[in-house]
Amino acid sequence: MAQTPEPCVLVVFGASGDLTKRKIYPAIYALALRRLLPENFAILGAARSDWTDEEFRHNMEAAVREFGRDEFRGDVWERLVEATSYIPLESADEEALDKLASALTELDGARGTMGNRVYYLAVPPVAMPQLAQALGKMHETEGWTRLIIEKPFGYDQASARELNELIWRHFKEEEVFRIDHYLGKETVQNMAALRFANGIFEPIWNRQFIDHVQITVGESIGLEGRAEYYEKAGAIRDIVQNHMLQLVALTAMEPPSDFTADSVRNEKVKVLRSIHTPGPKHVVRGQYGRGYVEGIEVPAYGEEPGVDSNSMTETYVAAKLFVDNWRWADTPFYVRTGKRLPRRETTIAIQFKRAPHPPFAEAAAEELRPNLLTIHVQPDEGVSLAIAAKVPGLGVRLRTVHMDFVYGGAFHVEMPEAYERLLLDAMRGDATLFTRADEVDEQWAIVDAIIAAWKRDRPAFPNYAAGTWGPPSADELLHRDGRSWRHH
Amino acid sequence: MTTAAHLEEWTGENVSVALIEDALADLRRESCEDTEGPDLRTSVMTHIAWVPPEWHKAAWATLEGMAERHPSRAIVLVPGGADDDEDLDALVQVAAFSLPGERRHVAAEVIELRLGGRRARSPGSIVMPLLISGLPVFCRWRGSLPFGEQELEELTGIADRLVIDSREWDDPAADYARLAELFDRVAVSDITWRRTLPWRVALAHDWPEVGRCTELAVKGPSADAHLLAGWLRSRLDRRVRLAGEAADEVESVAVDGREVPRPPTEPVSSSDLLSAELETFGRDRVYEAAVTAARRE
Repeated sequence: MAQTPEPCVLVVFGASGDLTKRKIYPAIYALALRRLLPENFAILGAARSDWTDEEFRHNMEAAVREFGRDEFRGDVWERLVEATSYIPLESADEEALDKLASALTELDGARGTMGNRVYYLAVPPVAMPQLAQALGKMHETEGWTRLIIEKPFGYDQASARELNELIWRHFKEEEVFRIDHYLGKETVQNMAALRFANGIFEPIWNRQFIDHVQITVGESIGLEGRAEYYEKAGAIRDIVQNHMLQLVALTAMEPPSDFTADSVRNEKVKVLRSIHTPGPKHVVRGQYGRGYVEGIEVPAYGEEPGVDSNSMTETYVAAKLFVDNWRWADTPFYVRTGKRLPRRETTIAIQFKRAPHPPFAEAAAEELRPNLLTIHVQPDEGVSLAIAAKVPGLGVRLRTVHMDFVYGGAFHVEMPEAYERLLLDAMRGDATLFTRADEVDEQWAIVDAIIAAWKRDRPAFPNYAAGTWGPPSADELLHRDGRSWRHH
Repeated sequence: MTTAAHLEEWTGENVSVALIEDALADLRRESCEDTEGPDLRTSVMTHIAWVPPEWHKAAWATLEGMAERHPSRAIVLVPGGADDDEDLDALVQVAAFSLPGERRHVAAEVIELRLGGRRARSPGSIVMPLLISGLPVFCRWRGSLPFGEQELEELTGIADRLVIDSREWDDPAADYARLAELFDRVAVSDITWRRTLPWRVALAHDWPEVGRCTELAVKGPSADAHLLAGWLRSRLDRRVRLAGEAADEVESVAVDGREVPRPPTEPVSSSDLLSAELETFGRDRVYEAAVTAARRE
């Protein structure tokens, strides 16, 4: 049973933005429906849009109806709407902050929120430092304060450090919750359960038994109106720096002594520190050209609205990483991410070494594939294990079969959205599923080194067609090692 | 044929692949509610079927006889519609079958997609997101193969094995030459080849006389006749003339005027024939040689 948070006000900066509409507010509604919000609770939306309380409530109702995972219930909405208000904020200057402070004090009185604050910074990176500094200055002495910061956290290691320094001037590290929403996904959390709650996996979770690991974060969509952000970020900052390296860390980490925030994050940061910076031959970048997705022709990246036709932004990255420690020495972690790939898929595939001496005739086993444990983060959340089995009959013929555990089939409940879990955890002060400053720092160190190497050449973009699995050089990356990417 | 213990179904017009994935997840959940515990998903393959509308009824009849034997995800692609039609209509089914001695059921999934004209030319990008991870992909192509067309190129690029029935072709003799061009790209199974097995066994019993064969007379479908002749040519490495006479089934075979004793045959359903092909892996070199020699006199 989830523990209900203490009374608090959740202040969402960037409340008129897409993230609030699609994820944050629907997540709040889902928590309200399940009675997981405190009795004394308030949501204060803050943004530049000159909305009234009524307009904000109206827009959020529409958002819940469109993007919520539950049926809309009038009684739940009535409870929530009483707790919802809005304040237009042009900037983070003194006048605006006074206005915000008064609104919060008023809410404390009206809603009994006791000076406890959760500030959710769902704002563009450029607005982050000024806002964090302003909030720091009005740090409440009464009650607790927590700061949720959306990705991207900085643009590189230097800017991330600068942002951390600025935040630490006003907030303690345990008050800071850097969101990587992948960590809120059930299947990502299930990785820990799979590894550490089952006796059978951990003894073989190492270089002796595992041939290699493949991690794929594939998107079939293109830019979806995010050209301004994506042109600056590219796939390496958008996905590799955060989601991808977190998935590597969770796969490779040592068992923590307990599941508290610091124990888990200590183990993850050890992995990140052990990742050998990949050389230029171990990293491939790409940009999609025209192609077909779901049977429809789609434009090249350079033809997307808002993108420079000569853009050198990468929409695809593949890399071969090594975790230089006792457990994983010489075991490659092949990672890839891209836009306009054939399918939306986030998977962690653990490929085990082949049986040393299968005592069967070659013909009996010609279709045998190595054992593969696949953790499906999305879609089809679950775990599947490919094993060899004898085909029923008088002869000995072997075939690969799958044992699937699918969340939707095994548990008769819908899985919570990542933002529900993360919002609830932040309100409760549990930072286990949030990234710590030193993790972010290590992630940027790896990414900065890759980007620095890229500055030395200018690849011929586009180099893969939309709807394909990336440039041919990505295939060569594995073929050189006698391996190949999973294509389905 | 076993009837499903229960069947959950969803249909949608002009849908996205993401919506189909969501529908599958919902159906699986609903399917579990009818059973004690979750259905077993012991998939062994993804089975794609390219089914032009005229083959639709026959394709479903075959599928219905197979689900419990090959627990899999079947993706039935039905091309059609006007050239500027971009619709993607879907029928999604999760069927649960009882297992002897098991309280739980085993689930099979069928996704039928009707591809509008433009979508039908690029089916690969529709199918890719729906393949079951890490399992072999079989593609059953109903009717004639459109050699050189994008849809065939894409699906043979995805499939590990292409399953055809050359009896369904308009001009098998001409198409075998084009089929041979595919062999280095994808393993091919031909249901007609499987049908000729009893006759090939009977011809082999005619050894050593059959080794001197110069003419093979076959009263039967053109495809069967050409494959038998191609097989003899490639195995004997000699010229064998084919004298064919059309019939719906192979009624008689003669080697240099001598009738080959009719082999004992039992009626085999289309599901059984396809099922046998779905248990075959790797290239069938003997078949490939027979196809290559099928046009050679």
